[in-house]
Amino acid sequence: MFRKVLIANRGEIAVRIIRTLCEMNIASVAVYSDADRRSLHVRMADEAAHIGPSASSESYLRIDRILDAARKHGAEAIHPGYGFLSERAEFAAACEAAGIAFIGPSSEAIRAMGSKTEARRIAVAAGVPVVPGTASGSKDPAGVRRFTEEHGYPVILKAVAGGGGKGMRRVEREGDLEAAFRDASSEAERAFGNGDVYIEKFIVDPRHIEIQIFGDSHGNYVHLGERECSLQRRHQKILEECPSPLVAAFPDLRERMGTAALKAAAAAGYLNAGTVEFLVDGERNFYFLEMNTRLQVEHPVTELVTGLDLVRLQLEIAAGLPLPFRQRDVEWRGAAVECRIYAEDPDNQFFPSPGKIETLERPAGPGVRLDSGVYQGWTVPLEYDPLLAKLAVWAGSREHAIARMRRALGEYIVSGIKINTGFFQVLLEDPRVLAGALHTGLVDELLTAPKAPAPSGAVTAAALAAAVHAISRTDNASKAAVATFAQSSRWRDEGRESLLR
Amino acid sequence: MTLVVDMAGGSLPLELRKEGETWTFRLGSDEEGTAEIEEVEPGVYSVILDGRSYEARIEPGAVRVGGHRIELQVSDPRRRAARSGRRAVEGRFSVVSPMPGKVVRVLVAQGEAVEAGQGIVVVEAMKMQNELKSPRAGCVTSLSAREGATVAAGEVLAVIE
Repeated sequence: MFRKVLIANRGEIAVRIIRTLCEMNIASVAVYSDADRRSLHVRMADEAAHIGPSASSESYLRIDRILDAARKHGAEAIHPGYGFLSERAEFAAACEAAGIAFIGPSSEAIRAMGSKTEARRIAVAAGVPVVPGTASGSKDPAGVRRFTEEHGYPVILKAVAGGGGKGMRRVEREGDLEAAFRDASSEAERAFGNGDVYIEKFIVDPRHIEIQIFGDSHGNYVHLGERECSLQRRHQKILEECPSPLVAAFPDLRERMGTAALKAAAAAGYLNAGTVEFLVDGERNFYFLEMNTRLQVEHPVTELVTGLDLVRLQLEIAAGLPLPFRQRDVEWRGAAVECRIYAEDPDNQFFPSPGKIETLERPAGPGVRLDSGVYQGWTVPLEYDPLLAKLAVWAGSREHAIARMRRALGEYIVSGIKINTGFFQVLLEDPRVLAGALHTGLVDELLTAPKAPAPSGAVTAAALAAAVHAISRTDNASKAAVATFAQSSRWRDEGRESLLR
Repeated sequence: MTLVVDMAGGSLPLELRKEGETWTFRLGSDEEGTAEIEEVEPGVYSVILDGRSYEARIEPGAVRVGGHRIELQVSDPRRRAARSGRRAVEGRFSVVSPMPGKVVRVLVAQGEAVEAGQGIVVVEAMKMQNELKSPRAGCVTSLSAREGATVAAGEVLAVIE
């Protein structure tokens, strides 16, 4: 087993990895940028290495600096977390070349599955059903147009090198195709350096259900069941659960999807942890969407229901050990739900809310698990995404898990920045969510429904407060001005001019 | 004094005067009313109106009261009338950046007519792109947002009249 591992990441996932390393008596090396000097993952690690200025491109994405740090500290392995370099084949290859174990699959598998069209080809060859779409992407919309002539609308355009919802556009009709293609391609070019776009048939009201798989270096593969991640805002998952309510109602789906996922993984020669994502339509047909070659953000719900430590399994497999259990040993018990806690303002279009966390009170008690990367007094930096923590709960049933999550959300108090817990409370009161009738458009539907207007008393109070605020600021400014200069109504007007519009 | 309150639904005059500890006001064509208004923390006001207690927090371009975020701005009509030559109580709304970030796309042109809810500017912050929308229909009379420019919280990016 490794004696020292470097974590090429930050925030909550770096803390998560450090915790398992601690339990396994493996020394941890944190890397940090300027903005992260006081971060929680640095405080908790055994060793720490500064890797550059705050911008990710100058720090967490700098393969050279990360490998330098690993060599300098004598790390035998690197855990890439998720995001950043975790799915960059050249990083895995650079680790391989440097003789440092990369905790994940081979660079070849990352390359193959990193291209969405290549991944589809592998799935098709393995006999796994896929969503009808084009076999390759392009910057030229001709191929995409041909597809729509054959398959009709609605369709979805996607970036070949994509992820996280960027470079995606849903198109309902012929007239919108050209503009949507241009938008998707330019967004993809900016986000991934690759503007190739491909097309798929858009499945109406699909459910996003993914299968966690593991492969070891002895040829063993297992699946750890599914996670339902249908609740998404702008194509980003916000709430995940295990088991999927659909699978709980139709249990044979788990074995069928699990088997399909393992076929795809084996066909890719996969090693270590991976997730195969499927879309499931209204008739419970499932279609391969893509494979993620890293540990996922939402892995805690699988851990809570199976009792396994997925980071520990990753380390053991990377160290050459066989999987310590077989498929028939895997059991699923109870229900887990996870909410992604973001520094964003749900009352103002979910704008990010960076800044200093003045107070922070954490939920606790039975069945509550908090994977947090922040603490009271920490300043949430501008340079990275606004994920602060993941709040997960486990209970004996989905109904109890939802009640438990509502209780835990109520105990989570933060001031100084805005967080999205209020929105999860609203979501967990929605009858469709309570019934498990989920699909990937549900959250956006809920958000575009008209909101109840503010009562007139509140509006009047708001106007009065704003008026008094404006007046008091002008008075203060003009008092200061008059004290310095002889009375002049022009100065008062100037003061008003600059403070009021 | 008289101010103008600009909101998504329209603009209203607000007459205000302070008598002792009490403010007397008339909003639009409503009856005259009174309120107790105290700044209890910087930018936080306790407003007691008709026996009800409200806590109002001032933010760039909006006021937060009782779980609602109300887009609202006040201005001095004399300054606006002098500058723009328009009638004092015409509606005017500033599109303000609520956080520091970078302008990645300007979606409208100066002088363009826009609808309520139409996207005006896309600001990127914390790896997310956020579209700032116009809360009302009108015309873009001023557009200071430039693609690639960094913006501060509260910075005015466009004015819709």
